[in-house]
Amino acid sequence: MSKIYKKMGPHDVGGENSIPIDLNDPEMTHWEKYANALRIVVSSKRIITLDELRYHTEKLGDAYFEIGYFERNCLSLHNICLNKNIYGQELFNEVKLKKVAEFDVPKIDLPDPKKIEHLHDGVPHSHEQSDFQEDETGEGPPDYYFDTLAIAEIMISKGLITKEDIAQKIDQFDNVFPNRGKTVVARAWSDQNFRKYLIKDAKSAISDIGIKLETFADVICMPQSPQTHHIVVCTLCSCYPRTLLGMPPSWYKSRSYRSRVVHEPRKVLAEFGTIVPENKEIKVHDSNADMRYLILPPRPSNTDGWNEDQLSKIVERDYLVGVRLPD
Amino acid sequence: MKTKFKINDSIIVDDRVSTSHCRTPSYIRGKEGIVERVCGEFPNPEEIALSYDNPSIIPLYRCRFKQAHVWKNYKGSNIDTLELEIYEHWLKKK
Repeated sequence: MSKIYKKMGPHDVGGENSIPIDLNDPEMTHWEKYANALRIVVSSKRIITLDELRYHTEKLGDAYFEIGYFERNCLSLHNICLNKNIYGQELFNEVKLKKVAEFDVPKIDLPDPKKIEHLHDGVPHSHEQSDFQEDETGEGPPDYYFDTLAIAEIMISKGLITKEDIAQKIDQFDNVFPNRGKTVVARAWSDQNFRKYLIKDAKSAISDIGIKLETFADVICMPQSPQTHHIVVCTLCSCYPRTLLGMPPSWYKSRSYRSRVVHEPRKVLAEFGTIVPENKEIKVHDSNADMRYLILPPRPSNTDGWNEDQLSKIVERDYLVGVRLPD
Repeated sequence: MKTKFKINDSIIVDDRVSTSHCRTPSYIRGKEGIVERVCGEFPNPEEIALSYDNPSIIPLYRCRFKQAHVWKNYKGSNIDTLELEIYEHWLKKK
């Protein structure tokens, strides 16, 4: 039987030939953050499991790659809610209409930000365009945002989740999770015993320094070495140590990264500017089940005498996924 | 925990076709490798996905494969490896 028939679905991309990886990682929009937070709250409370969400995403068929990552998650969440009778289509439609109406505010003429002049400590001060954040397209939220709001509102009204759960999750993804991995690496760079413990039993070592990971998965730490270069991918979806590193970057979730890393890691690494010599082993970790991976980069040589706080500031997310090494 | 395999055992990933949710990527089916470590026991994702109330609890292994054995035309180095997690019911003794 040829390989193609063994493919489980559109998500099973490991080994495909694909295009160069788009390394842009745009800031997440509010609706993406909201959709992400809802999904994580629902799965961490075991209202709907991660595997149910994955399964229903895989079942989307051709739509899988036609719609975006967060829209896909939202649609599968909605389908499961219908299947599990968490709500019916009628109630959902009713709540969604209400959510759309709430958002339908009249358009007003905003002042030109460049012309806003006011006093700062008694001194006239004018603002630049760059002081204001604006939507690139000038358009409102996508339709799936209202789906997400409706799902959340129904779940809140049924007492399954709270508004605060979602707000807390958005805050953790913005302000807490992205810093944890950096703290852990800075400690491992400073303390040999902690480094050994981290490599032996990462989840316990991380818990020992007061970081309790909100995850069911186990964590494995792989140290980069002169002999071996480690790199992580999830070919089936987007498994990633979110509670340790925050949201995965766009490229980590992309079809090209997911399909190519497993069969041409050197070419992929070169696209990130990382050249690995032929006589150094590349070890690819396809993070596909219940383990999550933290890659421990080598400590840069020009950091003698630095404290953990200073060290944590030079730890970059890309090192911890294994796509780049510190200079 | 009763496991069929231990560290360094030679294994082969079953080459069967799956129709539902499953965490064994198609590219690794039928490939030979070794057990890198025993990860512990976890609920079967194939059953969780279908909303089973009491999914069976099964051993999970990390398995190591030589890249040159996984891909026919692997262009990297002969020493390159690939590791991933496989549930016990997808593994056979080599």
